[in-house]
Amino acid sequence: MDTISRRKFLQLTGAGVVGAGAAMLSISDIAQAAIARPLPLGTPIVVMVTLYGGNDGLNTVVPYTDPLYYSMRPDISYKPASVLPLSDGLGLNPSMVGIKSLWDQKKVAVIRGVGYPFPDHSHFSSMAIWQTASPIRHISSGWLGRWLDTQSPDPMLAISLGSVPPPLFAGVKSVGSALPLGGLVIPSGKLGMRCQTLGKATSTDSHLMAAAAQSMSNLFSVSDNVTSVLKGPAPVATDLPVTNGGNAGGDSNLQQQLDLVAKLIAAGAPTRAWSVSLGGFDTHANEASAQSLLLANVSDSVTRFLSSLKASGRASDVTVVIYSEFGRRVKANASQGTDHGTSGPVFVIGDRINGGMYGDQPSLSKLVDGDLAVTTDFRDIYASVLQNDLKSDPGQVLDGWKGRVNLLYK
Amino acid sequence: MEAQRLEISRLFARFNFGPMPGQFTQALRDGFSVTSQNLLNATQPDPALDALTPPNLPDVGTRPSQSNVAATKAFNQLVKAQNEDLVLWWLDRMAIAKNPLIERMTWFWHGHWATSIDKVNFALPMFNQIQTLRVNALGNFKTMAHAMFHDGALQIWLDGNDNVKGAPNENLSREFMELFALGVNNYSEDDVKALSRAFTGYQTVRTTGVVTFNPKRHDSDAIKLFGVNTPLDGDTATDLVLARPECAQFISDRLWYRFISSTEPQDPKSGLVTAFANREIAPVVKAIVSNGALSNPRYSVVRQPVEWFIAVCRAFNLQPSKLAPRNLSLGHLLKMAQVPLLPPNVGGWPTDEAWLSSASSQFRIAFAGALAKQIDFSQLAAVPSEKRVTYIKDLLGIYDISSRTFTALTNAKDDLPQFFILAVCSPEFIVNA
Repeated sequence: MDTISRRKFLQLTGAGVVGAGAAMLSISDIAQAAIARPLPLGTPIVVMVTLYGGNDGLNTVVPYTDPLYYSMRPDISYKPASVLPLSDGLGLNPSMVGIKSLWDQKKVAVIRGVGYPFPDHSHFSSMAIWQTASPIRHISSGWLGRWLDTQSPDPMLAISLGSVPPPLFAGVKSVGSALPLGGLVIPSGKLGMRCQTLGKATSTDSHLMAAAAQSMSNLFSVSDNVTSVLKGPAPVATDLPVTNGGNAGGDSNLQQQLDLVAKLIAAGAPTRAWSVSLGGFDTHANEASAQSLLLANVSDSVTRFLSSLKASGRASDVTVVIYSEFGRRVKANASQGTDHGTSGPVFVIGDRINGGMYGDQPSLSKLVDGDLAVTTDFRDIYASVLQNDLKSDPGQVLDGWKGRVNLLYK
Repeated sequence: MEAQRLEISRLFARFNFGPMPGQFTQALRDGFSVTSQNLLNATQPDPALDALTPPNLPDVGTRPSQSNVAATKAFNQLVKAQNEDLVLWWLDRMAIAKNPLIERMTWFWHGHWATSIDKVNFALPMFNQIQTLRVNALGNFKTMAHAMFHDGALQIWLDGNDNVKGAPNENLSREFMELFALGVNNYSEDDVKALSRAFTGYQTVRTTGVVTFNPKRHDSDAIKLFGVNTPLDGDTATDLVLARPECAQFISDRLWYRFISSTEPQDPKSGLVTAFANREIAPVVKAIVSNGALSNPRYSVVRQPVEWFIAVCRAFNLQPSKLAPRNLSLGHLLKMAQVPLLPPNVGGWPTDEAWLSSASSQFRIAFAGALAKQIDFSQLAAVPSEKRVTYIKDLLGIYDISSRTFTALTNAKDDLPQFFILAVCSPEFIVNA
């Protein structure tokens, strides 16, 4: 019982609440859909990786040639010799070996100084802003949920891993689906039939009772005759070295999530947007070891994920976007940790990405109240993803937003 | 009569953990007014509850060095056993208290000051925290907030140990204002920084939760908080925070959110803000119960997994720690994503639709199936089969049963375990109308 370590910031005070009717899919649902209407090869797919807790950007993409970095963080800085050099005087956290190798293959865009106007230091408010893409006006729909609203209704289009769907996928009309890691088991026989009766809608149902009945009926709206596709093992990442003792991240839930996503993408799931997440980035104390374990987890999981898709022919269809609700304060606190900050780097990774640095690195000599300046608006990235991967009009989803990250995609 | 049944159903589901056998029909006879007065008077003697021995939680002391494998294993087992004992003890209290209002409010405050044993690690400081919440559950919020500031588990959870002069750690100060006392945006970023300076210098022993003040680590300079510029410590700063007018709106909103509706805003006619003017909790709870919100059909709520489980225990005479195996309920609650002392984060557990996924449906059916094997159904068997639907509706304190659920239950009326599973997994029980 002491194993829950993910700190998920979902559906809380201030964050958008996902509406009723979020379908919960079983693996066989997706298998069925994959066989009936597989996503055509070459169709772009977006995988959003949310790092909950506020990842320290300065120790992720390290300005190791800047003396100010060392003077402001004497205890929790990375020595120049230890970082994995990228370009422009920046280097990756030493634990991110996998992403460094993708960088060397020119598949990684590092977008610097990403944030939004008037940064909010609350986890809940800031994550709500990132997921709704609405920094000023408080709204409850997520940006990919609003993209779903522009599509024909289809529970397969956007899927999040875990049993609680994130606000990200909550549209005004449509809601993305959720897939629990363990899959679903359905009661059979008379109990099953009677449970299905409990799932029927009645005219007297209140909003919440209708949602309760719906959750029961969704459990059964599964065609369970096509599971063989996905009963097999996940695709194997043949070109990655096998390490004894597993990843530095230890038992990684993110890796399980991405393994499942890889399996379903390889099977042809008609899904354009996926959401996975990892928590634990709220490193107020003893940051170095905790953060490097987490970043190793992210780096290893994403690298393995992309590699495992190669055999399916869909590896080049996938764009991975890695973000967190904020970066952290530049100056360390006395506990070898950092408090809540503002901007941070976002990684966009894929074969169709022009690898390299984007946006300006926030200057350590021009802090705003002790925090990094925002040099790139996060909506520029969303707009580029909408335009290039989802082939949609960004303005429609992002309230007329015009900015883009230029030349991000090939 | 129907309106009264709705109010009494809500009273039991929200301010109790659910009726024990006979309590609901008695309440219908007594009427809402008498029932709610009885419920709000939480001082009646309860010998069964008093007889429940608190878990034995000696200080586990220093963790042995990792090289000592046997000692490390024993230490980890002790920590795990203590943690399980503590959670089961609390679940037992919720299940057997004749009038569980205090336990119910303690549960609310646990979600409010959401602290996780996942980071605190040790049962003793968590036990102390829950006791603090229990003692103050219907008392004065200012007293509670001061006690919570000095609470070791909360200090560890939000890095108070690391908050020192010259390099303050803002974790506690930010959440103190945002989540515990004032609500987001009711303070400035400068206030967060100022409060963190006022909170410097408090040190906690991890295994016991004992908090001491170390003046050498405290920032004793004048601190400008909410426009006042003066030297501050944890207590004087807490007073300044709680004196803010936003506190009354925020705390009454949080109570409303959990007990009445997570989507509909607080009805000003309920008078909750005024009732909280002196930061007394009992008058606000009384106002929520008495001022009409419980009769408004719009305000339904979903039972959270712990509340669902305890309601089942109370109706069917189950005591969580006496299930076999002893920790059976903890495994099922973990699957349903709600174990006491393990909130997902400092914001506490989500509400309503978050508990209505197909995944939770599946886990609820499985949990009910496991409980069905341990329930003595002889009382239900003694009820003529055609009267069983009506019987279980009153036993569980359900407001109304739809035709769909009536059909499902009627079809299962002679298979008692299945009848039970369907009743407690019905939308009408999962959602309190």
